[in-house]
Amino acid sequence: MQASDVLRHLVIENLMAPHPEKDADAAIGLWEQMATQIISLVGEGGFNSLYARSVYLTQSTYPWLTANALSPQADHRFVQLKTSFEGQTPAEVYAANRLLLITFTDILAALIGEQLTTSILRLAWSVDASDKAGKEFENE
Amino acid sequence: MGSKDSNNASATGDPGQPGPLENTLKEALEKVIKRRESTVVDDETAILSREKSAAAREDAADMREDAADLREDAVHLREGAAQVREGEAQEREVAATSREQEIRAAEPQAISDEHVVKLQQANAHLVIASIEAHILTEQVQTAKDNLEHLVHYDTLTDLPNRTLLQDRLGQAIELAHRQGRQLAVMFMDLDRFKHINDSLGHAVGDLLLQSVAQRLVGCVRHSDTISRQGGDEFVVLLPYIEHAEDAALSAQKLLAALELPHCVDEHTIYIGASIGISIYPDDGQDLETLLKCADSAMYHSKANGRNNYKFFEQSMNVRAIERQSIEGGLRRALERQEFVLHYQPKINLQSGAIVGVEALIRWQHPQRGLILPEQFVPIAEDCGLTQPIGRWVLREACKQAQAWLQAGLPPIVVAINASAPEFHTKDYFKNIRATLEEVHLEPRYLEIELTESVLMRDAAATDAVLHALADLGVKLTVDDFGTGYSSLSYLKKFPINTLKIDQSFVNQMIGNTDDAAIVSAVISMAKSLRLRVIAEGVETPEQAAFLRDRQCDEGQGFHFGRPMAAEAFAALLQSGLSSTHLQ
Repeated sequence: MQASDVLRHLVIENLMAPHPEKDADAAIGLWEQMATQIISLVGEGGFNSLYARSVYLTQSTYPWLTANALSPQADHRFVQLKTSFEGQTPAEVYAANRLLLITFTDILAALIGEQLTTSILRLAWSVDASDKAGKEFENE
Repeated sequence: MGSKDSNNASATGDPGQPGPLENTLKEALEKVIKRRESTVVDDETAILSREKSAAAREDAADMREDAADLREDAVHLREGAAQVREGEAQEREVAATSREQEIRAAEPQAISDEHVVKLQQANAHLVIASIEAHILTEQVQTAKDNLEHLVHYDTLTDLPNRTLLQDRLGQAIELAHRQGRQLAVMFMDLDRFKHINDSLGHAVGDLLLQSVAQRLVGCVRHSDTISRQGGDEFVVLLPYIEHAEDAALSAQKLLAALELPHCVDEHTIYIGASIGISIYPDDGQDLETLLKCADSAMYHSKANGRNNYKFFEQSMNVRAIERQSIEGGLRRALERQEFVLHYQPKINLQSGAIVGVEALIRWQHPQRGLILPEQFVPIAEDCGLTQPIGRWVLREACKQAQAWLQAGLPPIVVAINASAPEFHTKDYFKNIRATLEEVHLEPRYLEIELTESVLMRDAAATDAVLHALADLGVKLTVDDFGTGYSSLSYLKKFPINTLKIDQSFVNQMIGNTDDAAIVSAVISMAKSLRLRVIAEGVETPEQAAFLRDRQCDEGQGFHFGRPMAAEAFAALLQSGLSSTHLQ
């Protein structure tokens, strides 16, 4: 794993860390923000493909994650993912969502490069260079 | 110029005597002349000086001119340089313009919504294609891994297969050779697995093999290898042993593990195994020899009561060579017409009449003499010779039955045995019908004896063949009844005519109440099901009387007549059975 990958993973962990008690809602929030940015670049089809692949790969570790399909309604896009999370403990949700996000962004980075991926994620999650997560990105 | 002035002076004085004036004049003149000369000289000097000055001025002028030329040249050069700079500047300007145009061309020019949608669609296609490429790559890699696994592992049990065993055994021999150590090879064959496979079906047989494989794996060290050679044969490699006794302990452990019942598909199955052991380097120095020696030892273990193990001994090679000799001879026996049929009568226990005959194969070996089927039929099965031999038996028996009929002998039914491999060939029924037609024998004079295991293997296909035979008029008998593992439901299902009670019950029924009870029960059941019943292995008058008392229909055994050549049987049939046999 390259240093830039590690940094991106750290950013994901930092973004998730402040909301362990919010579990499912916080997790879905990150996905919705990211989806908005990525869909504007690769369309619904491109995002769905990336998402389905990420879920498939994550299922080997978390078989209960059965949210393979996305809802066509933009405001309920991750309803299946949320349903999957609701049956789990916060720790499980945190771990599964962490792996799912990392897998998703790893695939994206493999397709379009680390720099562009980072740039998109910063926009998606409004990561400010002054906060902790932003510094991770700034240190790249 | 000096000579002209002297000529003028002599013309003005006394030519013979100069006076003082004259002298004075002369002197003055001389002075004047000198002065003039001096002046002239001065003038000349001045002239020279002027000339020099003029020349100098001229030189200076030339130099100025040169300097002017140089300045002009410098000006020209500066002008040239300026032009070059101007050219370069123009080129830079052109390049800059070009770059600017390129940059402008590259810059999105007021991207429209439609353009954004197209870009999104293009990106979506690229992402989807890339993800699909990932998935395909993963699938290809998985397929490669699976293929690699298939090359080295048995698909049914997931144990190392023959290929991987040979590789590991080869390496183990190399290592043992270098380190001066021993290793053991154990050849294992399950006892009566074929019987279970035939009676309970291949699906149960496969599950049993998987259960056996799991047990075996649990009995050995990680450094040992348990491999499946095919069928019910396994080979165990113990690459690290101190003494041959270590292999014996391991074999005992394996046998003990297998002894426990196997629960397979609602069946509780007990199975044993026979193990042959060879030791490197004592019994062989290469893998072929070690495997062959272990195989020979396994055969001896099986022959000596099964469910045990045996170390290889050199004398075993003699038996192995003999077996090879039989195998080679069997292949030629058909061509050389070395097989013969012997006939054993079947007697109506009430009337004493011969009502049938069982055709039994013998091998008239040119060197070994008459060989009984127990000695060559298992080898024939291993070699895949049961079908051609079975067809020969069918044809010869039918020809003989027809010959007896044509000879005017009392009509009797001739019975032949059908082995599982032969019965389950596709054209088994067709061949029987064709043979009967060819020899002009009515089907009602032919009887086929099948064991329970033959009947239960692939019940659907068996049912179709049995009904076709019954419809044709061929009689069907269940041979060795009571020794199989099958349910009795097939007696209702299949068009069976006769049950033949196995000789193991008949042999013991006089002294053993259990066997007597079984025989009585089978007779009663057959009567209830309106089936004929025959007892085989009847060797004494007491046995015959016991069977007759319980209304057993027929008997067969040494008491009534040993298997005999066709001519002898014809004579017996002609004369009728001696009444002494029916006491």
